Amino acid sequence: MISVDHRFAVQDFLVAEARLLDHRRFEEWLELWTDDATYYVPVRVSKKKPAPDVNDDIGLFDDNKISLTLRVRRLGTDVAWAEDPPSFTRRFVSNFEIQPEEGGEVRVRDYLLMYRSRGDGGVHDLISGEREHVLRVEGDGFRLAYRRVVLDQASIGTKNFGVFL
Amino acid sequence: MYTVVMRHETATSVSLTDRIRDTVLPDEGRIPMFIYADPDVYSLELQRVFGRSWLFVAHESEIPDPGSWVQRTMGAASVIVARGEDGIIRTFLNSCRHRGMKLACEDFGQGKMWRCPYHGFAYASTGEFMGTLVGAPYERIAYPGGLDRDALHLIEARCERYQGLVFATWNLDGPSLEEYLGPMTWYLDVLVGRAEMEVVGVPQKWVIPCAWKFPSENFTCDAYHTATAHAFLAKLDLVKGVDFGRDGYHVDPGNGSGLGIGVHPEEDGSYFPKELHDEYASNLDADQLRLLHRVKNFHGNLFPNLSFLIPNFIKVGDDWVSGMMLRLWQPMGPDKIEAWSWHLVEKKGPDWWKRKGRATYVQTFGMSGMFDQDDTENWELQTKNAVSALPRDDEVWMHFEMGIHLEPLGDEFPGPGDVYDGKYSESAGRTYYRHWRELMLEER
Repeated sequence: MISVDHRFAVQDFLVAEARLLDHRRFEEWLELWTDDATYYVPVRVSKKKPAPDVNDDIGLFDDNKISLTLRVRRLGTDVAWAEDPPSFTRRFVSNFEIQPEEGGEVRVRDYLLMYRSRGDGGVHDLISGEREHVLRVEGDGFRLAYRRVVLDQASIGTKNFGVFL
Repeated sequence: MYTVVMRHETATSVSLTDRIRDTVLPDEGRIPMFIYADPDVYSLELQRVFGRSWLFVAHESEIPDPGSWVQRTMGAASVIVARGEDGIIRTFLNSCRHRGMKLACEDFGQGKMWRCPYHGFAYASTGEFMGTLVGAPYERIAYPGGLDRDALHLIEARCERYQGLVFATWNLDGPSLEEYLGPMTWYLDVLVGRAEMEVVGVPQKWVIPCAWKFPSENFTCDAYHTATAHAFLAKLDLVKGVDFGRDGYHVDPGNGSGLGIGVHPEEDGSYFPKELHDEYASNLDADQLRLLHRVKNFHGNLFPNLSFLIPNFIKVGDDWVSGMMLRLWQPMGPDKIEAWSWHLVEKKGPDWWKRKGRATYVQTFGMSGMFDQDDTENWELQTKNAVSALPRDDEVWMHFEMGIHLEPLGDEFPGPGDVYDGKYSESAGRTYYRHWRELMLEER
């Protein structure tokens, strides 16, 4: 069991993280990640039961702190055309399940629903998935050491992942 | 000064084939914008381009065992690409001969047969009809005269392979795959025949609101976009200058396909892992091997819609790394595609090469790749303009003149086809549209 305070601290952290991304404060967002972080999004496949429908041999993201840093640096240039003008995004995070781990780390599962629109044509993409995180206490608060996102599409219905999950 | 070029009639009063004949002018470097997103052009393409060309359907390593299969699409048609129990790879229309229900409803699988979920009609992995499997007594009651086993054989495409790439076509009497590939075989040897290759995991798939010819022509003949579209490379000091997009060769094999091969000076030595040099040497001739050892990037498109890429090598730690891919621009309508991206690697490659290559591939290309993001934006917005060009009375032209006056190299380059010094040419793009035009105008 974890305390109510601890639970709220974890939830507040993930809600605040979503807000940083939606407000495109990418450099602050990057600071939330530990230096040894893993950020991974496997490919979902359409398979009959009971076969697994997630393939971990290849990812849609397969990143670490160095590559996330490069992505953020790129978004900071004036030539990252695909996100300039930027997408309007809104990340809804919910359904938290929080599990304490050895060494003060916390394992969290949650659901993500991301609305994404380029602001034209009255259209939007919805990206839905289940996330797993490992949070570690570093300095004055939590840091993200691990994230894995299992998306709910085998053929992804948004034209690129110029946005983080 | 800009001159409005009027079509001789309005779009509605000219037949589609006449309009294509009059306005698709690759020899002059002019391609009209309407051909990209016109629903009538698209319908005709499904029949005359996708119905008559060799289409990539799978890599052998995706169906390694007898009974293994994948579900793929040729044009608009769902197909099953299967290695039969007899070890032979075949491609079938994914449609029950009884009432046209799909037999395979998942991405891939393994088994001795497909059983239709509707009425139980069953087919062997070799395509033969096996009966309804509802139980022989019922089948005898329902069909007292018996069922014609041969007539119910699955509809089968012609299926051939080259260097591990599996292709299929509905053009049963046309050229063989090797004839169709022509000069491309020399380059495919370097790309996928240099070693035993395997697909890593499964293909990434995602939907882009763009017309299928935009990405296909980009990989065929567009080295020039890299300096602008991917300007972040220079901004972040990841490359020096723009030479990475120019140094090398543009290849126009003459059959609608095209390549750009970026090379570095020979004295720099090969960027490919030395652990694999023996395998490369056993599969390539001396000229191909010499070219491989100079490759720093390698892109192209096999007409109509299979692209491939060895992205520009980058230094990761002490190692030169690149993560190669195959790309299928699977049309889903006149203005929408499903992009398929397979990561391929040498099966016997060292672990570091596989590990770093995979991560580099995912970070730079594919769904989240920093390059692909730039490209999808261009292709989507070109498509919107192609749609808006449809109702106009004047013709909106695309400019396709780069390298139109250049002479190809002679004997100084050993590979076949028209090969140009430097990657800045749209020669193969012009040939792409010559070939496309010919197919679109071919009555049968």
